[in-house]
Amino acid sequence: MSLKKYLGPLSSDNPILVQTLGVCSALAVTAQLKPALVMALSVTVVCAFSNLIISLIRNTIPPRIRIIVQLLIVSFWVILVDQVLQAYVYEISKLLSVFVGLIITNCIIMGRLEAFALSHKPWPSFMDGLMNGLGYGLVLIVVAFFRELLGSGTLWNIPVVPHAWYEAGYLNNGLMILPPMALILVGTIIWIKNSKTRRAK
Amino acid sequence: MKNFSNRYIFLYVSGLVLLIAVTLTLVSLGLKPRREANVEREKMRQILKAAGYESNKDEVPNLSALEFQELAPEHYSIRCADGSLGEVVRVQGKGLWGPIWGYVALSSDRTTIKGVAFSHKSETPGLGAKITDDTFAKQFAGKKLYDADGLFVSVRVTPKGKEGQLSKENRVDAISGATITSRGVDKMLYDGLKEK
Repeated sequence: MSLKKYLGPLSSDNPILVQTLGVCSALAVTAQLKPALVMALSVTVVCAFSNLIISLIRNTIPPRIRIIVQLLIVSFWVILVDQVLQAYVYEISKLLSVFVGLIITNCIIMGRLEAFALSHKPWPSFMDGLMNGLGYGLVLIVVAFFRELLGSGTLWNIPVVPHAWYEAGYLNNGLMILPPMALILVGTIIWIKNSKTRRAK
Repeated sequence: MKNFSNRYIFLYVSGLVLLIAVTLTLVSLGLKPRREANVEREKMRQILKAAGYESNKDEVPNLSALEFQELAPEHYSIRCADGSLGEVVRVQGKGLWGPIWGYVALSSDRTTIKGVAFSHKSETPGLGAKITDDTFAKQFAGKKLYDADGLFVSVRVTPKGKEGQLSKENRVDAISGATITSRGVDKMLYDGLKEK
């Protein structure tokens, strides 16, 4: 089985850009690069392993309560990730605060469980979750890059805009830090993407 | 599609919930010492930062050399970075999304702020979360809690252009775009330092 068939979520079937899922958290955590990256990794882990578990037990899940079972598994991984972040990377977990807990409500994860894991074998499901998490993370990092650069003049908390610019009258764009600007950035990325690739009918 | 009986569904969910609950409890208990150590270390780092010491993540400072003493719960005496004895008190209040808190180092006569270190639970990164930045915290050093007539005014956090009658010694600049969090810090300092 080739790896190529799993690569869709990174470009042509990106969860944010094409399926427009998970946009809300993409707005919330992308003011700076560092939280965006940890968020991307957390979502990837939760998505991949939730998919794996659901796929492993998919034949035993009664269809009438499948959403409840999915929620249980997703919350299990989210709480686990949250605990591990608090224990090992305390600084960053403080930065992300409530948004780790809110991964439970990320539509990408439930979407992949419903659309893929319930009807596929464990390994493809794991890869599907992994790639969707990475596809989500990719957009997060691109958005965070521009927001931190233009909004705070820093990258990874390191100042990159030369001091002389500020003295010459350059100001950080405060609007970049606010959520509406993230929406406009995501919109711009979708626009660029759509103008380059027409989806096959 | 297979048909599942109610009995199966009930047992299935119960078993799953039990399994997950037990696993998470074990993980949580296992990681508890680490989490608590993190919280404790974070608190000490904040107290030292308020007292003017550069924070270093790996270094464990020698507290006895700093004459560190707990006078009352959340009220400490410490020799500050400038060499004089000072007091560090905890303040807490509300930000936009959740609690904010911090440690304020005061001169021994409790009239002047030597330094502050703020923290928050869930303020917006890049906006309210900036109360933890050095650029914001450094403003507080040397500010006075009392005005020229000796009345308590606290150190007010005011937006540029809205300083009113406050003298430079009694105010600092708010964070633009983070009005509610700035107001929270303002109120937190006023309430927390009033009786000290």
